[in-house]
Amino acid sequence: MNEEITVRIYDIIGSPLGVSAEDGQVVHEKIAPLLRDGRKVALSFEKMETIISAFLNAAVGQIYGELPAERIDELLSLKDMTSEDQKLLERVVANALLYFKNRKNFDRAWKEELGDEE
Amino acid sequence: MKYSLPTILSTKEGFECLASLAGHTEHLFARRVSVDFSSCEFFDANMAAPLGAILARITDRLNEVELISLSKGIQSVLCQNQFLASYGYPALDDGEQTTLPFQRIPLAEKGLFAEYLGRHLQGKGVPKMSERLERAFQQKIFEVFQNAVTHSESRFGVFVCGQSFPTKKRLELTLADAGIGIRENVRRFFQNDKISSAAAIRWALVGGNTTKQGKEPGGLGLKLLKDFFSLNEGKIQIASRMGCYVFENGKETFSTMSADFPGTVVNFEINTSDPRSYRFTSEPGAKN
Repeated sequence: MNEEITVRIYDIIGSPLGVSAEDGQVVHEKIAPLLRDGRKVALSFEKMETIISAFLNAAVGQIYGELPAERIDELLSLKDMTSEDQKLLERVVANALLYFKNRKNFDRAWKEELGDEE
Repeated sequence: MKYSLPTILSTKEGFECLASLAGHTEHLFARRVSVDFSSCEFFDANMAAPLGAILARITDRLNEVELISLSKGIQSVLCQNQFLASYGYPALDDGEQTTLPFQRIPLAEKGLFAEYLGRHLQGKGVPKMSERLERAFQQKIFEVFQNAVTHSESRFGVFVCGQSFPTKKRLELTLADAGIGIRENVRRFFQNDKISSAAAIRWALVGGNTTKQGKEPGGLGLKLLKDFFSLNEGKIQIASRMGCYVFENGKETFSTMSADFPGTVVNFEINTSDPRSYRFTSEPGAKN
């Protein structure tokens, strides 16, 4: 039986501010091994006051480079999130999917564009 | 040496003049540097942040800095925001409480930065923003602070200060670092030392573009900033090395400055009367 484990961000970082990639990484290191083992995780944003993209990139975004998106959808749920933070996370996830899919092509295109000198 | 500082406003010319001060003093070591304000008729309070970043670099080379011939008006503004406290001037009470004081915050001290925002964005005469607007604004400021932490390599930390204009319903907040600038990060990433500062800023503003290497995606912070200020009808200015970016009234301009600002400055001008809720969907709740 795969019982869902609730992981409260506030309890892990000890602050209502998810405003650094460093703290996001700490959260990632807690949840990623569980997901890799196929455990269901509910990530709770209870008591979190401010969340930024860099925090979510590290905590959640990088999981999309480790597991297929369908598997993440199956195992990871999010709760106690404001609509604003939910919207931010949607952008982070969309960005992560692009990042892991197209990064090299994307950078190559820019390399040609960034030709001007200073 | 004596350096005559002209009028400094929150404009491209203002950033150029401060960059020029950096350029004229970069070769000095263990000297006395007198920054002469006698030709400075006006100094926008928030520009104390980039000036602080430049003066930190000068004093780091064991130079002694003095600020001289300040008009009463400029002295009053820069005493009220506590910028002049490090230069032997007395602190002045901010009677109207419209100042977000000058402070230097080490990159590792995100808690100190949070405390600064908590104390100075809320109340203290800063025009009343809705709770949601204030929260959204605070989030964007943290994005910029985190960008400095990740990319600036600024040994001197981040310099912050601001000023509110209650009658205009605007609030200006400026963050400056004395780091390597956006250009250097982008040049390293593309292994191309000819990329211009303006082109580097343009690249950094595109969602998903990041110089971070490794397993972690990034590159959303500046894009989110632009989206927010577009809705808010505010203004963003970024000056980094020789590049200058302005976003205002939905229009963005990239240009090259006449001098090299050693680091990055981000200046926000928020419309505090913005009635939008910044609530993107109607239902709060979970993903599943």
